[in-house]
Amino acid sequence: MLHTSKFAFQHNYMPILELHNLRKYFATQKAVDDISLSIEKGSIFGLLGPNGAGKTTLIRMITGIFYPDQGQIIFDGKKFDPLNDIENIGYMPEERGLYKKMKIGEQTLYLAQLKGLNATDATRKIKEWFIKFDMHTWWNKKVEDLSKGMSQKLQFVITVLHEPKLIILDEPFSGLDPVNTNLIKDEIYNLAQKGATIIFSTHRMEQVEEICDHIVLVNKGQKILDGTVQKVRQDFKENIFSVGVDQMPAILNGNTPFEVLSNKEHLFVVRIKDGSKPNDVLQYLLQQHANIHSFNEILPSLNDIFIRLVEGTPLSRQFQKIND
Amino acid sequence: MNKILLIIKREYLTRIRKRTFIISTILFPLFYVLIIFGSGYLASKSIRKLKVAVIDSSGLFTPSLVENVNAKDSSSYLTLITSNQDSLKHNYSSLGYDGYVVIPAVRWDEKIDKLPFKTNKTHGIASVMEVQNKLNIAWGKIKADSLGMDERKRSILNDKNISLKEENEKNKEANAEIATTIAYVCGILIYVIMLLYGSQVMMGVMEEKTNRIAEVVISSVRPFQLMLGKIIGIGLVALTQFLIWITFMLIIYNVGKASGSATGMMGSLAGGLQNVFTSINMPILIFFFIFYLLGGFFFYSSLYAAIGSAVNEDMREAQSLSFPVTMLIIFSIIIMSSAIIDPGGDLAVWASIIPFSSPIVMMARIPFGVPETVPWWQLTASMVALIGGFIFTTWFAGKIYRVGILMYGKKPTWKEMLKWAFRKS
Repeated sequence: MLHTSKFAFQHNYMPILELHNLRKYFATQKAVDDISLSIEKGSIFGLLGPNGAGKTTLIRMITGIFYPDQGQIIFDGKKFDPLNDIENIGYMPEERGLYKKMKIGEQTLYLAQLKGLNATDATRKIKEWFIKFDMHTWWNKKVEDLSKGMSQKLQFVITVLHEPKLIILDEPFSGLDPVNTNLIKDEIYNLAQKGATIIFSTHRMEQVEEICDHIVLVNKGQKILDGTVQKVRQDFKENIFSVGVDQMPAILNGNTPFEVLSNKEHLFVVRIKDGSKPNDVLQYLLQQHANIHSFNEILPSLNDIFIRLVEGTPLSRQFQKIND
Repeated sequence: MNKILLIIKREYLTRIRKRTFIISTILFPLFYVLIIFGSGYLASKSIRKLKVAVIDSSGLFTPSLVENVNAKDSSSYLTLITSNQDSLKHNYSSLGYDGYVVIPAVRWDEKIDKLPFKTNKTHGIASVMEVQNKLNIAWGKIKADSLGMDERKRSILNDKNISLKEENEKNKEANAEIATTIAYVCGILIYVIMLLYGSQVMMGVMEEKTNRIAEVVISSVRPFQLMLGKIIGIGLVALTQFLIWITFMLIIYNVGKASGSATGMMGSLAGGLQNVFTSINMPILIFFFIFYLLGGFFFYSSLYAAIGSAVNEDMREAQSLSFPVTMLIIFSIIIMSSAIIDPGGDLAVWASIIPFSSPIVMMARIPFGVPETVPWWQLTASMVALIGGFIFTTWFAGKIYRVGILMYGKKPTWKEMLKWAFRKS
């Protein structure tokens, strides 16, 4: 894809949002417990975590709905001022909501004006977006007449209409068909390229790997992972490779530099033992006259890492599970 | 501030354009008039003309006497039975009588107390009263004849009584009857508007919460702005409705005055209004009505907003939580009826100062005269208390609203809601 922000990291790093030691406690639980993070301007940032991890509370503090009990939020270089800064934020909550009986055009205009746009600008922008998303015939319809996917598209337009610097999308693709998913996905890249920063909160890890530059994983109110997608995957690699051979040579004694985790037809998943290197594996196989046709490292997917960190199951154990 | 205006505008316009608003604005006064006049009409219609057989053991009743009283009014019909008295007692119903009385063998100067009126089903008090009146007319005539009084003497004795009409020297136009009517109308109108529009606020908040639009909106405005905008918007709808009614009334009044002669329904309505306008200080009444309407509305609707924010989509949850609030309003209406009977009494004075009941009770006292019946100090105290009261309830409701609007799941109790309100933020 076209976004280049991944590579801007090393150069002049400009955060749009910084959280310093944020805490929010409710009566019975520590919803957010000392979280710090920094989000680069123009990046697509994945905020991940299981249900009840504190993502929504964190987002509600960033959108000015909750005040933190402790800690500081810096937005675009200045101390976060909910009253004014929320006009520069667009938030699409996981639970979508619109006035069912209100006409779509009127409703979009109303919500845009609440974000500080004047009526003329708002009307012009709404018309542009409605044409772009093929919604221009909807103006006088009511929300209750729309399908779930249609109202999802409308909600996205409402979120980004006022051209916010920071866009927070909570599960933006749920309920969308592949065509509309791609439509929204392209629009997300588009907005990021124009300089908007996107916080993308989801459980769908394959989408995160595809879209996000940088991720943070929270669990039980705390940050347990922070980094670029590539770096995180490298950090969690467990020296697991897939080896394509015609026939795996018999392992005579425990002297092999690897152990076999699973095999399927002629593809073997192996883990290199501590102290050995990939080359040792190849060398061993060649010595045994194995006919090698592929040799690839398996990096853990974000999904694997997520499960491992949240449930404490290592990648290698997952393969064993499959095998058992 | 600008955003509150946007919210007010939306709340106001979406409601005012609804068909139900237009219909209720037109139909409510019609219903009101119908209920007031209709119930009187129905009450008079529901009195049955009873046919009563009279068996006379005293020998004082004569057929001509009975005929005479029957001719005077037709609200019931007496028949003097002279033969077959025993069989009548068994068969009165098949003979076409509703019941019978047996006049005991008494002298004309004796009293007949609790004379049994035998029937085979219970008739209303009003119908029985008519029979009693008629018998008394006949009995009076018997007494008068025995005393040797002629028709003239009798009418002097019966009709020339002293009747009182209160004349307020400070306010020559004051009319206690009109004041009582206006007091009822004002009190009940405020009661209806507070309940009706209060529950509209509650349902509006519930709608925003269950539609999940609340979270979208409060990522643009403060929760308090959203709540206040809704309350003010709906309050303005109530005010608009009231002003439309006042305008109707002024038009009828002026049309009636211009046409001069009072003819027909329109004329009598205008005539009635004319009496009201001359006996009551209308500008003062309208000013205070608007004040107490809005004051009472803000006081209670913010509580309703807090309840709406705390519950989920279940109407029963909302009803059980709003029960204490609704009770306070109903309680005010009970105090109002005694305040109208004694508008200067202790209960009336205190209930019209305490903000829980002041909107209804004070509006029931004001028609009796400001500053004679309601001194200025009481009005001032009441207004200050109500303003203070609704600032407090709005603040209190805002605290609950802020927490409740994003809280899903179990319905909270009032105790939990108080905790939300008074914990440090």
